[in-house]
Amino acid sequence: MSRTPTTDAFRPTSGITRIDTPADIASMKGALLKDIQRSAYVYRVDCGGCNGCEIEIFAAITPIFDAERFGIKVVASPRHADILLFTGAVTRAMRMPAVRAYEAAPDPKIVVSYGACGCSGGIFHDLYCVWGGTDKIVPVDVYIPGCPPTPAATIYGFAVALGLLGQKLKAETHVEGADERVAIAHPNVPYNLRVLIEREARRMAGYRQGGDIAELFLTLLGTAGTGTLSERMARHAGLENDPRTLEILERLKGVVTAAMAGAAS
Amino acid sequence: MNVMSKIRVGATHLAALKAALPHAVLDEAWQTDTQLTITVKLNQLPEAVAYLYYQREGWLSVVVGNDERKLNGSFGLYYVLSMEGEEKGYVVVHAAVPEGKEEFPSVTPKVPACVWGEREVRDMFGLKPIGLPDERRLVLPDDWPADLHPLRKDAMDYRLRPDPVGDDETYTFVNDSKQETTVIPLGPLHITSDEPGHFRLFVDGEDIIDADYRMFYVHRGMEKIAETRMGYDEVTFLADRVCGICGYAHSVAYTNSVENALGIVVPQRAQAIRTILLETERLHSHLLNLGLACHFVGFDTGFMQFFRVREKSMTLAEMLTGSRKTYAINLIGGVRRDILGEQRTRTLQLIGELRVEVGRLVEMLLSTANVDGRVKGVGILDPQIARDYSPVGPLVRGSGHKRDTRVLHPFAGYGLVDLGINVGEGCDVLSRTLVRVAEFFDSLSIIEQALENTPAGPILTEDFTYQPYKFALGFTEAPRGEDIHWSMTGDNQKLWRWRCRASTYANWPVLRYMLRGNTVSDAPLIVASIDPCYSCTDRVTVVDVKKATQKTVPYKEMERYCRDRTDSPLK
Repeated sequence: MSRTPTTDAFRPTSGITRIDTPADIASMKGALLKDIQRSAYVYRVDCGGCNGCEIEIFAAITPIFDAERFGIKVVASPRHADILLFTGAVTRAMRMPAVRAYEAAPDPKIVVSYGACGCSGGIFHDLYCVWGGTDKIVPVDVYIPGCPPTPAATIYGFAVALGLLGQKLKAETHVEGADERVAIAHPNVPYNLRVLIEREARRMAGYRQGGDIAELFLTLLGTAGTGTLSERMARHAGLENDPRTLEILERLKGVVTAAMAGAAS
Repeated sequence: MNVMSKIRVGATHLAALKAALPHAVLDEAWQTDTQLTITVKLNQLPEAVAYLYYQREGWLSVVVGNDERKLNGSFGLYYVLSMEGEEKGYVVVHAAVPEGKEEFPSVTPKVPACVWGEREVRDMFGLKPIGLPDERRLVLPDDWPADLHPLRKDAMDYRLRPDPVGDDETYTFVNDSKQETTVIPLGPLHITSDEPGHFRLFVDGEDIIDADYRMFYVHRGMEKIAETRMGYDEVTFLADRVCGICGYAHSVAYTNSVENALGIVVPQRAQAIRTILLETERLHSHLLNLGLACHFVGFDTGFMQFFRVREKSMTLAEMLTGSRKTYAINLIGGVRRDILGEQRTRTLQLIGELRVEVGRLVEMLLSTANVDGRVKGVGILDPQIARDYSPVGPLVRGSGHKRDTRVLHPFAGYGLVDLGINVGEGCDVLSRTLVRVAEFFDSLSIIEQALENTPAGPILTEDFTYQPYKFALGFTEAPRGEDIHWSMTGDNQKLWRWRCRASTYANWPVLRYMLRGNTVSDAPLIVASIDPCYSCTDRVTVVDVKKATQKTVPYKEMERYCRDRTDSPLK
């Protein structure tokens, strides 16, 4: 190994061996799913996660979400398990314990890779002390993505693993028509002013809520109505009990006033 | 916008240190009004740290190593002390280790709290602490090559993955008992919950004589990635992923450290929102621990009830941030989401429901007949041991020490709210549990106060520029205690160094003393009572020191024994 790494050293599985599966694994797993039906025993293998995944698995098995109503039960030993649930980006220290847990579970077994780190290594994917995901050391059947996956996603992933549900795949592609044009938003408001308004809204309430509030303000500004802008803002439905949103709208009005004063001088 | 007033908190500590150790102090500089870094001669480092620690009511927060060879030809060592006596603030003792002679006198013989920090500096920088009795690795895995120190700037690319030197775990465990014992591997996987950890109990019959453990199975290399692959704002999201339970506390600590280093004044409203979210995180975390405490005393109904109610705090987090976990809400200079009228109303409603429901559950828990018997007098943390090792959070407060970063060193919006420190005098599991219960209700009150008096104005400032090689501390009180971060800016829009210390890091070293003298059946309960983001062991190997026999007990069996206390697995 060289201290000046070559591309080889960055290869995710350089130096470690990945466990392979027997050729007839597909038929064996089919038989397993038929046998266990809806009573699946799950063993969790933490390969260096941050606890976020583990805590959401906890949420999934406790009363509100209650995965046990689907027969999914977390067990104490890999020797009792039908399904192994791997979380974490597979740290160096956890590689051998994880491999031992995998080998301890009876064949055939279903492996679920849980969370962004388990699926791909996540934010840690290329770091020196991780191997970058479950599938670098053991073969994976189902991936449950998310950082962390919500309990609902967890239960859905289990259902996929058990063959109760199929993986949902959906894609939409928009093809632009011959004379299709994107309309300019708020054509009545000068572009530079719109930028100023949106920036101020972001500083006041962030991209998400600021975007909504800027949109509301620009709509009020760009459409005619009775009364002054302030009056129209105050009359807008739902704002009478929301002093903060009104405060932000007033700030945006201040931006417009300042810009107009600047343009006049 | 860099603001620095003329307040100089820590001047009395500096004067006292100069009087006690003439000629030791080489330099001094304030990073903020309350953060003082004192440079001392390397050979007087142990005396300087020990003096501030024991004579000036300092508590060790973190030991930071830094490769500054490109800047000044030496490695930097920073011993961060939280001063909690008359004059409250942070004093950092800095010493330079020259390149070529890469060793330093260990502080651990004088201040035991430094033991993990110095072991980590040896792992990550290859600096040798002379006189440190513990020669084992701390952070790096057993299959890591010797003499490759990841945080040295010239050691390696952050992506380098050296081939494992072997497939065997080679860590040795320490047993201070006088009798003959055997060493056997155990753990690190376990069923009950989260992080992998590896424990050993050395017992005589049912009594624990000594214990040792190994952590850092989840060392991923975050500090390296922060200084190589990420910009300043990206690290706030990385810090969210330090811990899945109290990640937001880390994110705030990190942003505070950079904001302190650059003197950025964060808008008041952003500070209040940070406070609300920090307390929201505490709500779910304390409910988690109370649930687990029920589980470990065999009260599983309580466990399920606490988890049912805990979902309300998760709903609250999701409504305020968009995520149940990993809030991803911080930026350097502010936050990314506001709390508008609708969210404010819903928050107050959820807070009200939580207060009623948790109140009922706590009453149920404390009036359950056998709970008291299981938790009272168990897992005693002696206040003097606590003083020596600087643990944090409900653990140290349960032993009568008034340590709470929110009150001692107000950060974020805690200056705006009314808050006291909850302490317990029992030093046992019960005392720590009661501290958590009291803090839960305090958190509800803090959220209400912050919503009542939320300042107006923006939630983000962009009115600053990054300057190279500025450093400072950032700190928060996470549910498990003080999280502290030390950041130094670099010259390429990246951090030069980011040191992140989680609260449990400060709490592990005392666990050994808490286990001694208790029975085997209480061990999982004691471990859970430090709320170690919570680790225990898959299997606990029990070594009977008198009979010189050994037996491996599956973790689930240990847990069952902890709950039922019949049919000892040792017989």
